[in-house]
Amino acid sequence: QYNHNINHNLPLNLKYEKQYVGFATLPNQVHRKSVKKGFDFTLMVAGESGMGKSTLVNSLFLTDLYKDRKLLNAEERINQTVEIIKHTVDIEEKGVKLKLTIVDTPGFGDAVNNNECWKPITDYIDQQFEQYFRDESGLNRKNIQDNRVHCCLYFIPPFGHGCMKALHEKVNIIPLIAKADCLTPNEIKKLKDRIREEIDKFGIKVYQFPECDSDEDEEFKQLDKELKECTPFAVIGSNTVVEARGQRVRGRLYPWGIVEVENQSHCDFVKLRNMLIRSHMHDLKDVTCDVHYENYRAQCIQEMTSKLTQDNRMESPIPILSTPDVETEKLIKMKDEELKRMQEMLNKMQQQMHDKDQ
Amino acid sequence: MSDQVPPEVRPKPAVPAKPPNVGAPSPSSAFPPQGFGGGGASSLPPSAIPVPIGSHVASHGAGHVGGLAAAHNGGHAGSHRSAGGSILLGYIGIDTIIEQMRKKTMKTGFDFNIMVVGNSGLGKSTLVNTLFKSQVSRRSAGWARDDKIPKTVEIKAVSHVLEEGGVKMKLTVVDTPGFGDLINNDNCWDPISKYINEQYEKFLKEEVNITRKKRIPDTRVHCCIYFISPTGHSLRSLDIEFMKRLSHSVNIIPIIAKSDTMTIEERLEFKQRVRKELEMAGIEFYPQKEFDEDMEDKSDNDKIREAIPFAVVGSDKEYQVNGKRVLGRKTAWGIVEVENPNHCEFALLRDFLIRSHLQDLKEVTHNIHYETYRAKRLNENGGLHPISSNGTQESNL
Repeated sequence: QYNHNINHNLPLNLKYEKQYVGFATLPNQVHRKSVKKGFDFTLMVAGESGMGKSTLVNSLFLTDLYKDRKLLNAEERINQTVEIIKHTVDIEEKGVKLKLTIVDTPGFGDAVNNNECWKPITDYIDQQFEQYFRDESGLNRKNIQDNRVHCCLYFIPPFGHGCMKALHEKVNIIPLIAKADCLTPNEIKKLKDRIREEIDKFGIKVYQFPECDSDEDEEFKQLDKELKECTPFAVIGSNTVVEARGQRVRGRLYPWGIVEVENQSHCDFVKLRNMLIRSHMHDLKDVTCDVHYENYRAQCIQEMTSKLTQDNRMESPIPILSTPDVETEKLIKMKDEELKRMQEMLNKMQQQMHDKDQ
Repeated sequence: MSDQVPPEVRPKPAVPAKPPNVGAPSPSSAFPPQGFGGGGASSLPPSAIPVPIGSHVASHGAGHVGGLAAAHNGGHAGSHRSAGGSILLGYIGIDTIIEQMRKKTMKTGFDFNIMVVGNSGLGKSTLVNTLFKSQVSRRSAGWARDDKIPKTVEIKAVSHVLEEGGVKMKLTVVDTPGFGDLINNDNCWDPISKYINEQYEKFLKEEVNITRKKRIPDTRVHCCIYFISPTGHSLRSLDIEFMKRLSHSVNIIPIIAKSDTMTIEERLEFKQRVRKELEMAGIEFYPQKEFDEDMEDKSDNDKIREAIPFAVVGSDKEYQVNGKRVLGRKTAWGIVEVENPNHCEFALLRDFLIRSHLQDLKEVTHNIHYETYRAKRLNENGGLHPISSNGTQESNL
């Protein structure tokens, strides 16, 4: 006899209702499938060397991703260009599997002339969009790998300012004040205000937290408000365990005291972690898919069609797909070849970058 | 939890350990080099404090970071084991993404489209109303019961929004009056096939647009319930023709309609015969064997495949039985209780269709049937190309 356990997941009050159909279990059904498949998340970190990026990532995800890293000295860095390095780690917690990819950008902002240091990063982001676009337009879509960058943590030095404009329409930017333990609370407040002003003034589109639902409880709404007022987050990371107030915690030991990473009165690390992982991870992915990727795709298509209409001196954009004719098919073939050429160029670039690594 | 890091010593004024690989501090850093250094092999002097997380004072050669597995501890903080064997304390919180997804699903709601196919009078509309405990069929939308039988199969789609437990569903019931009702029923499946493909085409066009909608409205048929007449003998040739042709473009669930005309033994025999005929004709009904993803799926689905076709009875009338109000059909010899598993298999169908496989029906439609259609279209035209959202010509469909 066929039997199933789904009824265990039904909310109690509904189990006994006469008129109950049962489709309220749909979120559970979706849940089951997602847990089986696992999730993925790609996080980029950008900022000058020594901002504490690696330490923060380790603190956020409780890993030690950078164990075998070699730090370069200033001379070695003179001729360095910005690299893109990916680290991937599989994390499992309470049965939920996450494939986390950290995209590191060593060399960013380290050169003497940093005018072009954004380019490798924007190129990388575009490449992932391009790859997804091709996969999505292809025939075999069963196992598309999503390598698109879902979020970029941008580290602003505690006594400087950054320039995020190059990235703001390609990826969700979360600006962070790095190494906040060298600032007093007042200095932090002033810096946050200044950064917020600059963001407004230059029209930089950083990641916006979605509005709270009207039916959320008051506590949640209050937390959400505090979160929004606290940006940009001032963070501290640590790879060391210290003893503070009778407990073993992540922290930094100074002669004048102990900084605790997870102490909310010391820094905003907990707020960042909660937002990034526990409440907004899904939304970050959604915004990447629905906004940044769609923008890229629309732009890409428009470029391609305008190029083709220029070349062919056609009157109108490409007609719809249900009326194929010789002219249309020629256009389609040209577009495909163009895509192929772009792909070959990208492969060459990647090969060059790879060779540089060696 | 046992600690594998050496016991910490009371903090003295810190002397930062200088890992050998670090060069001069970079100009932008105000601090001495922090962190636990450049290589896993560097062993810090035992008295160095604070204690680096993941330090390999005890063991060396952790190599690269491979998979980290969580040690599950009931409800609270799980700990993580890195490849090197040291424990990293704490709880990250990635399991909360499930909750984040759930909230999103509940907010956006979902579409579900169900088609019913079978001769007139087999109780299609009643069954759908019974399944969703609402008046959702086309009969309820105002068509008269004594409509003339149409000359060709018509397709009539009716939509309702149902809500339950905070989840909103836009249910569309697609009825197919006229199917199998003529003397010559040749190709009566054509309008149905055409309708199904039209929905795929609609979705495809949206997907290929330059500016796409955030959530493409889904009108594709997720499930087609095929009503087998309870003759007690065997399937009719129309049944086989239809299911053969359509099972590759839509999920078909065959059921035995009006099964209260058969005794339990007659029903079992009929089922066995029908199943054999389906097998011989090579008809892959839902859940299809080839799409079982893992052993758990396979074992669940095998049980269902054994029970198909479900022998159902539908009713939208309530009667009092043993002090309870039940849906049923009242006859002179007793009341057939629709939701009583001893009387018929309606409850099995409902649980299977709605409570356990609703999402899977949609996924198989999207990932398999729709992809098959799309691949065919791609190959036909020598490639898809996007259209602009303004200035499109009218479709030929």
